[in-house]
Amino acid sequence: MLVLTRQPNQSIVIGDDIVITVLEVRGDQVRIGVRAPRSVSVHREEVYAAVVRANQASASPAPKSSLDALGALRPKRPPA
Amino acid sequence: MSAGTALELPELVFEGGIPGFREARRFALVQVGDGPFGVLRCIDQPGVEFVVVPPMFFFADYEPEIDDDSAADLGLTGPDDALLLVVVNVADDIARSTANLLGPIVINPETRRGAQVILAGTDHKTQTPLVPA
Repeated sequence: MLVLTRQPNQSIVIGDDIVITVLEVRGDQVRIGVRAPRSVSVHREEVYAAVVRANQASASPAPKSSLDALGALRPKRPPA
Repeated sequence: MSAGTALELPELVFEGGIPGFREARRFALVQVGDGPFGVLRCIDQPGVEFVVVPPMFFFADYEPEIDDDSAADLGLTGPDDALLLVVVNVADDIARSTANLLGPIVINPETRRGAQVILAGTDHKTQTPLVPA
C-alpha cells in the first residue's frame, strides 16, 4: 500500500480526475473529501462490504415452496 | 407507481452491475404469483437472481433518499417515476426472512434502467426482518 503523509487541506490525486482531500483531523476522526467523476462510486468500505455480503447471501434462486410461503407473509391489509 | 402495478419488466439494464455482481448488467423482473413479491433474474449470469418486493408492503415508513447523481443516471425526475424494490433474503424459516433496506433497488420503468443505490447517512440495515419477531 502506498502511504502518504498529508495535513488538513492537503490532497492526493488519483489518476486524472479523482482528488481526495483531508478536510479536518479531530482526535481519532478524519474528515475526508472526495471529488470524483459520477461514474466512480464512492462508499464507506464497511457499508459497501455489507451490501456485497447481503447480495451474495440473497443471489441463489429460492425454491418455489419458499416463494409460495413468502406470499403468505403478505400483510392482511395492503397499503392504500 | 401504485401498489397494484405488476412487477413485469423483460429487460432492465443495471449499468455497472450491482455490488458483488459487477458483471450482472441485464435483468428481467418477473412477478411471483399474485405478488407482491418478484424475482429479479440476471440475464447475463444464469443462476443469479434476487427475490424483491416493493418495500411499502412491509415497511410503510421507509422513504429512502436517492442521491441526485443516482437519480440522474437513471433518468428519474421525481420519486413518482421510480419503481422502488428491496432485496429479500429468503430464510429457511420464512418468517425470519429479511430485507436489505440499506441498498434498495431503484428502477426507472421508462428508461428500463436500474441500480442498487447504497444509501448514505442512514441507519438502515442490510438484514431487516420482513415481519417483527
